[in-house]
Amino acid sequence: MSAPFSIAVLVSAGRHPVSGVPRACRGDAVAMAIGHSLAGSALRVLHAGTEDEPSLKDYMAYGAKNIEVVPVREGDDAIAALASVLRGVDVILTGCKAEQGAGSGLLPYLLAEALSRPVIANALEVKIERKDSSFDARIRQFLPKGQRRQIACATPLVIAVHPFAPVSLKYAYARQISGQIEVIPLTNPTCGAPQPDWVLEKAARTRVRLKAQEKKSGHARLLSAIVSEVKGGVVAFEGTTVDKAQVVLNYLREHRLVDF
Amino acid sequence: MTGMKRVDPRRAYRMGSTGLRRIVLGESGAGDAALRFTSNQTDSRAKPLRSSVAATRWHIAVAHAYRGRLDDHAREAIAAAAILAGPEVGVLAVILGAYHENAAELGADKIAIIEDLEASRYEPQREEAVVQSFVEHYAPEHIFMPDNLSGDGDLGRRLIAKQKGVAATHVAEIDAAHVATAWSSGPVLASTPLPGIVLIDAGIVDTNLPFVGAGETVTPPQLPEIAERFRDLGLEPSAAEAIALEEADFIVSAGNGVSEVATLEQLARSLGAAVGASRVAVDEGKFPRSKQIGASGKTVSATTYFAIGISGAVQHLQGIKACRHVIAINRDAGAPIVKRADLTIIADAEELMQALITRVAQAREQTDATEANR
Ligand SMILES: Cc1cc2nc3c(=O)[nH]c(=O)nc-3n(C[C@H](O)[C@H](O)[C@H](O)COP(=O)(O)OP(=O)(O)OC[C@H]3O[C@@H](n4cnc5c(N)ncnc54)[C@H](O)[C@@H]3O)c2cc1C
Ligand SMILES: Nc1ncnc2c1ncn2[C@@H]1O[C@H](COP(=O)(O)O)[C@@H](O)[C@H]1O
Repeated sequence: MSAPFSIAVLVSAGRHPVSGVPRACRGDAVAMAIGHSLAGSALRVLHAGTEDEPSLKDYMAYGAKNIEVVPVREGDDAIAALASVLRGVDVILTGCKAEQGAGSGLLPYLLAEALSRPVIANALEVKIERKDSSFDARIRQFLPKGQRRQIACATPLVIAVHPFAPVSLKYAYARQISGQIEVIPLTNPTCGAPQPDWVLEKAARTRVRLKAQEKKSGHARLLSAIVSEVKGGVVAFEGTTVDKAQVVLNYLREHRLVDF
Repeated sequence: MTGMKRVDPRRAYRMGSTGLRRIVLGESGAGDAALRFTSNQTDSRAKPLRSSVAATRWHIAVAHAYRGRLDDHAREAIAAAAILAGPEVGVLAVILGAYHENAAELGADKIAIIEDLEASRYEPQREEAVVQSFVEHYAPEHIFMPDNLSGDGDLGRRLIAKQKGVAATHVAEIDAAHVATAWSSGPVLASTPLPGIVLIDAGIVDTNLPFVGAGETVTPPQLPEIAERFRDLGLEPSAAEAIALEEADFIVSAGNGVSEVATLEQLARSLGAAVGASRVAVDEGKFPRSKQIGASGKTVSATTYFAIGISGAVQHLQGIKACRHVIAINRDAGAPIVKRADLTIIADAEELMQALITRVAQAREQTDATEANR
């Protein structure tokens, strides 16, 4: 099956959050599986980094026959490099969050901005439909609290896939052996948007909550230390069962928890 | 009178939750009746204004409201903007969607409510344009937003991409000098100086403020005529029963005190809620294991948690930490769930559930009738 539209997935270097062992970033593997279901073997798999990145083998086991590496060294601008390679690609799939480094989830947005095309995040399902001479993407978007939204958008676009997307990942060692890595020659890597300078701390520690500084008298401080804050829970003893049911309904309505 | 200081035996006191008298230090006068009932209220004296100086520079906080309210995560973003503002820095809260609370208690000096930009609709370009117009007008030093999946995280990232400034997302720690994020999703933090746009994770800011903001309402700008590149085909109608418990917004949960499972299920259906259960109810075979909520079951984050016949053992309460409104029905006013619940009804579970089903059906009919008359 070869798709009439061009489609690529971006995979990042995955790391296990506890052990730090290199592996396929799960969210990116899910995005890749969606890409395969849309375009089969026509899907391009790209990674910005170095060709000896150990996690790339894992993506091959998950079905990437050929991984194209966009050479980006530390400090180079991965967005500009990726944008120069992906300019003609109709549908770009990414994960929502990388496992290594800050994992800001910004890459799809920055890439879309660099290519001046729309971006949509938290996609669970993607369908590409022919519409006249162009293609239309239909996306089912994840929202919290069990909600889902349907959105349509013309290609080209960038789609960040939510890790809950319903796909099955199949790992095959044979594919890991047969897969190939190809380095794309890059003309001129440019400098892009400024990145924050992250300074890594030496050890894990508990996080400090931000709290407003209070100028209180010694007495007031003592009070707040000894009088624990009691949550204002209401207890309803009295009345008939019908009255009590009304109390519940009033509470639900007062806090706009129901729509009737 | 000898002029010697004596302790007044009728001085003010509060009743503690355990029933012990607690003398209120520093307040004179007799233990009058009014004071006895103040135990459940936090200090009701008016809080001072955060700053009395006219603002020359600005912080902006942006968040969506749901059903007229801001969730705790959004409240943290506004509180952070206020806590980190110096005396000459003003705080503007830009609230997308209808909003019926007062953001001044979160420290907002100006409040702009854009009712038309409801979170239930998908119009990222209009939202971006509206926020951009505030950014141009106020030239804020910092923008604070909650990093959530219900619209704000997405909008924040769009702004970051547009502005091309330095920004931080998934912020796990913040103060006036720095922000920190979990590096490689692990336990070690990486920090950087406070950037222009900050998207904060939930639970990192204390929203109890010792001050209030001026809370002045700002007329929202004219909504721009923008043809969205996305076509919003709407939210999917979702059956509450089909929603995974972890994602549900309203859960009706059964414990050992529920005898008729059918009644509970009917109540859940009439309220449009998902069904959960305590471990005892599951062990008795009334519910499948997948419905168990608590330490050895599921952790839920519903806005409303309706605990029926549940005693509220710590193992159960662990699973409902994130629930905003807990309503309990129990026969026993001494059950631990009463301390956790925002509203407790002391009644027999079966009788009350029946009454509530009837009442909800009536209320729905009335609402439908008034809608039809309009
Ligand atoms: C390691 C461990 C893990 C655990 N994990 C979990 C867990 O994940 N989830 C969990 O739920 N529990 C868990 N438990 C069990 C937990 O400690 C409690 O035993 C359990 O939550 C109690 O369930 P319950 O409240 O339904 O029952 P009960 O404690 O029996 O409480 C029933 C309540 O219903 C009220 N009641 C009775 N009849 C009526 C009536 N007709 N009308 C109104 N009210 C009535 C009673 O007053 C009482 O308060 C765990 C325990 C251990 C040791
Ligand atoms: N070096 C990279 N090469 C290719 N894709 C990447 C790279 N870094 C991030 N991505 C993609 O961008 C998504 C979000 O990454 P981030 O913005 O770094 O959290 C990831 O899930 C990947 O799909």
